[in-house]
Amino acid sequence: MRKKSKGLKRLSIILALAMTASLFAGCSSGTSSTGSASAGSTTASGSPQKVTLQLKWLPQSQFMGYYIAEEKGYYKDEGIDINILPGGSDIIPEQQVSNGVADIGVTWTSSLMKYQEKGWDLKEVAQVFQKSAMLLVSKKSSNINSVADFKGKNIGSWFGGNEYELYALLGKYNLNKDKDIKLVQQDFTMNQLESGKVDVAQAMTYNEYGLLLEAGYTDATLNKIDVNDEGVAMLEDCLFSNSDWLSKNPDLMAKFLKASIKGWQDACADPEAAGKIVYEKNKSVSLAHQTYMAKEVAKLVVPSGFDKTQIGYMDPAAIKQTADLGLKYGLLTKAADTANTIDDSYWKKAVGK
Amino acid sequence: MKQKVEKIEKLILPILFGVLLIFLWQAGFLHYIFKLKVYQLPLPTDIVDSLRMNFGKALYDCAITISGAIIGMAFGSFLGFAIAAIATFFPKWGYGGMVVVTALNAIPIVALSPIMNCWFSSGMAQKIGVVTVVCMAAMALNAYSGLNKLKPFSIDLMYTAAADKWTIFTKLRLPNCLPHIFTACKINVASSIIAAIISEYFASSTAGLGFGIKDNLRKAEMSTGWSYIVVASLAGVVLYSIIVIVERNAIKWHASQR
Repeated sequence: MRKKSKGLKRLSIILALAMTASLFAGCSSGTSSTGSASAGSTTASGSPQKVTLQLKWLPQSQFMGYYIAEEKGYYKDEGIDINILPGGSDIIPEQQVSNGVADIGVTWTSSLMKYQEKGWDLKEVAQVFQKSAMLLVSKKSSNINSVADFKGKNIGSWFGGNEYELYALLGKYNLNKDKDIKLVQQDFTMNQLESGKVDVAQAMTYNEYGLLLEAGYTDATLNKIDVNDEGVAMLEDCLFSNSDWLSKNPDLMAKFLKASIKGWQDACADPEAAGKIVYEKNKSVSLAHQTYMAKEVAKLVVPSGFDKTQIGYMDPAAIKQTADLGLKYGLLTKAADTANTIDDSYWKKAVGK
Repeated sequence: MKQKVEKIEKLILPILFGVLLIFLWQAGFLHYIFKLKVYQLPLPTDIVDSLRMNFGKALYDCAITISGAIIGMAFGSFLGFAIAAIATFFPKWGYGGMVVVTALNAIPIVALSPIMNCWFSSGMAQKIGVVTVVCMAAMALNAYSGLNKLKPFSIDLMYTAAADKWTIFTKLRLPNCLPHIFTACKINVASSIIAAIISEYFASSTAGLGFGIKDNLRKAEMSTGWSYIVVASLAGVVLYSIIVIVERNAIKWHASQR
């Protein structure tokens, strides 16, 4: 009896192991088949080529350029069959592009630098946002008029790589992030600031700041600190791909950029209409919020004085500032190897340089 | 003698299997099968290295998570037992509490966390709130069946001796319930740690194993993230062992312990 039950136990363990193994095998064969599908499509020149784009966040006007290019057929004109994958808080574009779920991804430049330093074979190909959208917002009634007033306050951050501009800001004012303030993990609403659970919150100009305005706050009842004005801006939304895919699809990458830039040009020329198109694609947030976001995003993609034919330009000075601040405030452990992690040849081809 | 050999065999085989697995992992065999790069699945030596460099903080984070889990488990288990006791004393209306607690049990932790974040402002209180709710149902259901599944002859004996409700409760129902309480505790140890870690994904604090795992995995600090995972599972094993040892000594008389 005892012997028999032992045998059964062993059998069940072996079966369980076999099942787990087959599960993993199923996973890996799944990703490899998508990889080969996209590689195979490059050979067929007549039919459209499949490209999958992984967004960093939910479908919203932050990514309007791609949605407009899809809607107006700019990708189709370049022979691209585009598939736009929405992101979310636990969908990490770097990981999606690295394991072949997507071909191209949108992420923050600072976050990409971290992955590149860790050995992930990813390359930045275009810089969509020329400026940082990061604000540190507080209610006027809290009387926080400068970073020096942060001392002793509860400061919110999303973390996960989004905290380094805040660290740089604190560093600039000689505040110790562990001793002088209390860091609090922020959720993706603005409830903590509104209810007073945090005194200062991170907010993107195009999203969370808009949520506050929609909740009845105004520029007059809020204090905001703009990281661009403080000189601690780090670059955000950029486009990247993995080196393997790039080496197999150099023309496809340039075509994708060309269509995307066209989409961004249209979107920034008429953000009102772009917001509406994004809203029609996915009604996850209100039309008013999408058009607000579109207007704010346009200011980041084509800041005043920026030539709109140059959308996606990778400004070496801004990239250097991102890398230097990252190194100084603990994001990176060594100077970023930008010569090997950035490749502007696809963008140059796309804009006809 | 034979028993001893069997015991050793029982101990050594799983250890050997574990060692083999770690060896295959270190040698890159797992990476080969699953087509992973080292930056996707760090090597055991890298994980140990980052644990060593980060040991003080990891220990502190572990203490935060475990204290939240234990306090929440104590609250939840106490409330669960109280609900079961009320349902036993006042079967007519008291069973309603059991129904409510069973319904609460169906709420996923990811839905519970934002609710608790809304109710409480400190990360610790949010975590305790989540763990409390998660631990209530297992205790209530187990304790209820322990308090009520009595041997007919024992309850008859109590009646013939004209024992009152309270005497029946303390002399018969409670001892009968003890093994069930330990079963619930064993379930709750595991679920309280899981609940505490998941709630830290959403909680407003920046300490704890859950925050460490999430934050580091998002930031490509894979080996640090994995070192937190190792600490979390070790903590779980230690807590479980403590409950088993207490159980072994508290209910020596029960069939499951002989």
